[in-house]
Amino acid sequence: MNKFVRNLIMWVVFLAVAGAAPHVLGIVKTNVLVELATFALFAVSLNLLLSFTGVLSFGHALFYGVGAYTTALLLYHVEGFPLIPALLLSGLAAGLAGLILSPLLVRVTGTAFAMLTLAFGQLMYILCLKFREVTGGEDGVAGYDIPPLNIPGVASLDMLDSTVFYYFTVVVCVIGIMIMWFFTKTPLGQVVVGIRDNSLRVDYLGYRVRHTKAIIFALSGFFAGIAGSLFALFQGVVSTDGVLHVMVSFYPIMAILIGGIGTFFGPILGSGILIVLEDMIMRYTERAELVTGLLFIIVVLYVPGGFVWLWMGLVARFKARKLRMSKEVEA
Amino acid sequence: MSTSILETKDLFYDYSGLQVLTGVNLQVEKGERHAIIGPNGAGKTTLFNVITGLYAPCRGKVIFKGQNVSGFKPHKLSRLGMGRSFQITSTFHNLTAFENIRMGVLSRMGIRFNMFQRVDKLKDVTRETDVVLRRINLHRESAVPANALSYGKHRALEVSLAMSTNPDLVMLDEPTAGMSRDETHSAVDLIRRLTEGKTMVIVEHDMDVVFSLADRITVLHHGKVLAVGAPNEIKNMQEVKDAYLGHGGV
Repeated sequence: MNKFVRNLIMWVVFLAVAGAAPHVLGIVKTNVLVELATFALFAVSLNLLLSFTGVLSFGHALFYGVGAYTTALLLYHVEGFPLIPALLLSGLAAGLAGLILSPLLVRVTGTAFAMLTLAFGQLMYILCLKFREVTGGEDGVAGYDIPPLNIPGVASLDMLDSTVFYYFTVVVCVIGIMIMWFFTKTPLGQVVVGIRDNSLRVDYLGYRVRHTKAIIFALSGFFAGIAGSLFALFQGVVSTDGVLHVMVSFYPIMAILIGGIGTFFGPILGSGILIVLEDMIMRYTERAELVTGLLFIIVVLYVPGGFVWLWMGLVARFKARKLRMSKEVEA
Repeated sequence: MSTSILETKDLFYDYSGLQVLTGVNLQVEKGERHAIIGPNGAGKTTLFNVITGLYAPCRGKVIFKGQNVSGFKPHKLSRLGMGRSFQITSTFHNLTAFENIRMGVLSRMGIRFNMFQRVDKLKDVTRETDVVLRRINLHRESAVPANALSYGKHRALEVSLAMSTNPDLVMLDEPTAGMSRDETHSAVDLIRRLTEGKTMVIVEHDMDVVFSLADRITVLHHGKVLAVGAPNEIKNMQEVKDAYLGHGGV
């Protein structure tokens, strides 16, 4: 009951803050929040692999890119293509990409996995760069119409209105993150954690390790694709450097490590820190990486695991001290 | 004493040239506690790994419940009803004792790809896991991560993880390795209790454990079966003494 009340309060606070934000902050800051939500969804999808399956992917941009290009190309070539199907198809396309690569990816772990994903990510980058007729090369795909969100009989929401788009993004990202959170609580989510800890033992308990991993790659790819699709809808232009560049793969890894590896919500905190910090630096200089990179190094050196672990350590220490004090009082 | 649950026929295995198993014929009867012993380098662990599917045999057959299972992958063998434990403790070290056992219970109940229900809402899984933890006397440590358990308890968790899928045949690879005398004693009790009514194959160095647990013993030497028999017969066999002491040999 206590937990229920706490969760309820957190939700109310979150909804109130998220709901009021665009009216308080103005358009520019609202757009930063859109970026943040999308990035958080992307980081959490990568975190399913990094923290839960225990494999480090250097090519997560591949799924993000597939999602973004799918949305852009659909809207560019099919006139009047509706919003939600575009979003879902982009996710499915990215999930499918995950499934297609999984026969190779499930066979390797550790460094080999990182290198293989890096290779596939770069392969996709080059493919999209060179396949000019379809992807527009460096210039990318631009000039597509962003469809409104039609709820038949109720309303037609204009996605070009930043406030409306902000709400749309927040709803999509919250739903996506909640689904992934739920997944980690299911039996399959438990098996995945088991694979991270000891895949041989999982095999000996009668689970199919490779099939299970393939499912998680598809799922992680799906949500990365949704995040990419939101990017495409938000920016109105999709280019190789924007969605497939190797930095697009590295950035969420930074968010996870800064926020808290091994936790579900850490990456969201990390995303918040990175995006807000970047926005603040951008006022003074273009070279945001100078500062975010420095922060990354500091976190790795002095806060290994990320800020969530720092926080949990402090809480544990506080509790221990309280316990000791109450014992002294008793004595 | 008629139906054999596990049989190996003329099993060969070599590590790129080094012949480790050179024609092993092993027979394990249903319901017995069978120990495999032998001096260092006799091929006990290799035999174990070939039977449990970690390696595929180079030649020969492994027959489990009348079915040729040579080269079957571990998960397939597990589903057929074979469980194993490891010499070097190999649990899910970051998960709690409860979560460890639950992994086996989920598999036993056939819940392997369910991603639409919360696992803590599956009441029968939770209940069954609690039963197992109580049986192995770990219910007070159920929320403790495996790597924070004491060595003896961690080993107990290791063995019961092998039992948690409720296998018909359980293969224990040196379950008491590295234990103190007291711990060994309670481990033997635990193993005896857990394997009641099941078939067990155990590889063990500690002869006290072997002689107090086993109904039948197979002695392995230089990758071949040297002798098979009841503990008393084995104890008095001259060949076995020679193999252990190093003179004679085969």
